[in-house]
Amino acid sequence: MLAPSVYLKGLEMLEKNMSSVLKSVSKPGRYVGGEYNSVKKNKDEVKCRFAFCFPDTYEIGMSNLGVRILYDVLNREKDIWCERVYAPWTDMREKMQEYSIPLTAQESGDAMKAFDMLAFSLQYEMCYTTALGMLRLAGLKLYASEREECDPVVIAGGPCVYNPEPFAEFFDLINVGEGEEVLVEICRLYIEMKENGSYTKSAFLRRASQIEGVYIPSLYEVEYNADGTIKEYKPKYPDTPKKIRKRIIEDMDKAPYPEKLVMPYIETVHDRIVLEVYRGCIRGCRFCQAGMVYRPIREKSPEVLCKQARCLFDNTGYDEISLISLSISDYSELPRLTDSLLEWTDEKRVSLSLPSLRIDSFSEELMQKVSSVRTGGITFAPEAGTQRLRDVINKNVTEEDLLRSVNIAYRGGKSNIKLYFMNGLPTETLEDIEGIAELAKRVVGQYFRMPKEERPKGVGVTVSVSCFVPKPHTPFQWEAQDSYEMLMNKQEHLKNAITDRRIRYTYHDAKVSVIEALLARGDRRLAPVLELLTNEGVTLEAWDENFDYDKWVSALDRAGVDMSFYTTRGFGLDEVLPWDIIDIGVTKAYLRRERDKAYEGKTTPSCAEQCSGCGANKLGGKNKWCR
Amino acid sequence: MVQVTPEKLFIRIKFRKTGRLQYISHLDLVRTMNKIVVRSGLPLWYTEGFNPKPKMVFAAPLSIGTESHFEFMDLRLTERVDTDLALERLNANMTDELVCTEAYYPESPFTALRWLKYEMELVTSGASEELAGKCNEALASEKMEILKKTKSGETVVDIKPLVHSATARFEDGKIKISAILSADPSSFLNPEYVVKLLRERCNVLSSSDLTSEHYSILRTEGYFFDMTLFR
Repeated sequence: MLAPSVYLKGLEMLEKNMSSVLKSVSKPGRYVGGEYNSVKKNKDEVKCRFAFCFPDTYEIGMSNLGVRILYDVLNREKDIWCERVYAPWTDMREKMQEYSIPLTAQESGDAMKAFDMLAFSLQYEMCYTTALGMLRLAGLKLYASEREECDPVVIAGGPCVYNPEPFAEFFDLINVGEGEEVLVEICRLYIEMKENGSYTKSAFLRRASQIEGVYIPSLYEVEYNADGTIKEYKPKYPDTPKKIRKRIIEDMDKAPYPEKLVMPYIETVHDRIVLEVYRGCIRGCRFCQAGMVYRPIREKSPEVLCKQARCLFDNTGYDEISLISLSISDYSELPRLTDSLLEWTDEKRVSLSLPSLRIDSFSEELMQKVSSVRTGGITFAPEAGTQRLRDVINKNVTEEDLLRSVNIAYRGGKSNIKLYFMNGLPTETLEDIEGIAELAKRVVGQYFRMPKEERPKGVGVTVSVSCFVPKPHTPFQWEAQDSYEMLMNKQEHLKNAITDRRIRYTYHDAKVSVIEALLARGDRRLAPVLELLTNEGVTLEAWDENFDYDKWVSALDRAGVDMSFYTTRGFGLDEVLPWDIIDIGVTKAYLRRERDKAYEGKTTPSCAEQCSGCGANKLGGKNKWCR
Repeated sequence: MVQVTPEKLFIRIKFRKTGRLQYISHLDLVRTMNKIVVRSGLPLWYTEGFNPKPKMVFAAPLSIGTESHFEFMDLRLTERVDTDLALERLNANMTDELVCTEAYYPESPFTALRWLKYEMELVTSGASEELAGKCNEALASEKMEILKKTKSGETVVDIKPLVHSATARFEDGKIKISAILSADPSSFLNPEYVVKLLRERCNVLSSSDLTSEHYSILRTEGYFFDMTLFR
């Protein structure tokens, strides 16, 4: 164990004794901070020191929109100072362990232990061990119950908290839903209790449990049935909420949005202006968790977006603006938005990009407006190979839609088409798998049907297939995942079915998807597994080179946890699900109806066409389509 | 859009890259400068083609781990601006570890930069007058051969012709080196090789504990062929 004094050396240490260490690791720019637009405050004027801890590398973390938004929101408060902490790459982590160097924040260079609150943004299942590894580097105990009174309050947020149970016992507080308002409320309560002398960690957590969107795992006891399923969640006190309803921002036009961005010196994955156009999704694809948990749909107006974009350009100098949302072409004001942006972006040499295009609303006009010239490729996501299966998952696109879009893309000079699919979907047969190969063949065929002089050079189609992971709060939440062998067989089958050399097939080892399903559907009994892996130094598993399936199998075995209970077992329709403690607005009855329709092969229209009564409208908000 | 300019108009920016910025690579510095000049609102000339960028040219790129008070960037403009105004606009968009110190319209090309001066400080065990003397011997020897890693493996290179002068002294408990090294693009000498030479010959910085010994390198000045100060 490190002596406490070691943790507080901060920036001074970085500048003096760290130089040889920094010269010995890859990309030292990750660790030095000092970025333009990063926020510095006077420690003496600050009453709550807050650190966003991103459980992945600097390059990934700096690109995260949620952190960018919340960093700005918290730093608007005069007496709160929000800083950033990222996970060190493995070479740096080894050096930190060897020389007892603590993990520090980018702004102050202070060690994590010096903070009042540490908030982890959990974006994907494979970051859980990284988050725990960061707690270790901070010199903190993993379990909330084992940490000291003076240790920081450790918070989790982000999309993974829609099933917080596998990691619940490591956190003092979990923020469910959108954090803009609730995080400030949490800090305000903390400051109030510190100032009037009523603060103890347990008293604070009790009071915080009364804030909507706050889940305090230690206030619940979980009981299990003899068959291993959950019997019930027992709140410890009468005023402890039975379910935690997620928080939403009601009016997106009035929601704070950063006017400045911290400018990384080193290249990050999405090194550009990101404009969040709306929250939610009208589509209701049955496998998609984001499409359910971000409901109801709340749009921003083009006027507000344009103002935000211009302000961000002036303060950053970026040459690209990415318009993002779950399905950008469903934005009701897209033409007006792109037209008003183009009024100044061309002159300033700023290009627009749209990362998610649906094939049923892709048009020539749209393609010309976005940064079509920068890359020769375009991506579409039919998700499944046959119409039957696309109806089961409620993707609501047809082969005609795809071929029409592909034609537009070819005519627009795009010769590389990337197609996203999933395998292992409920009801899937080998015929559906073969359908992927046939669809790809037809996409190539479209190219050769064009007159020779109109074709762009060198057609190439990439078929990228990921494995289906049944996700909480979706109509498929009860489904069993295909076994590893089945998933591999299907991947092999597709490989053999693709014979055209112009089609490139890429897929991931299904082992990662199996662990993702385990963590996505797990409960509190997985905590000892995560602890074991953290003890063994497992970290940064979102990077293929660091993921080791055998270590998981071994840890599960030692912890006495049966993986198949969470992955290949279909959950009972009447079973208490680990994530039933979380209320996302969308009702279980709706998810059940959608599941039944999936098995009947019936589709559900989008929110724009007809309300399907999902229940998210009860959350309120200035939403676009809800009744 | 084709821009017509009567001549290629460049403004020269002298800047410092110090402190934490020493860990930022040249490529990342270029990306950073790109955004700084855009934010500055100066009348930039953009490259043509599908991916227009402001035109910037840098002199003698620094390697990671070297600080500098003597960096130059030529920035192409579409019209002449007041040099004080340019300096002010750029510095308003920079941090205290990346600062512009001068702006002027250049009269000499970067290829005229022949030598660069470096001040190095070695915090090493055994630092003494005696060790400084040993370092001076190494720096004055007839041949200064070091192993250089190249694409085709390691080769022995004599860096002596690339060293204009180099001396060591013992000061403040450290070994301090002043060296003037070749800046010529075809025979540029990275100051790290001087440290490497001393490591191999004089047993400096030999501890396996990375936190007990360290060194810093600061580029301070540069010269024309006749040893007058480059500008």
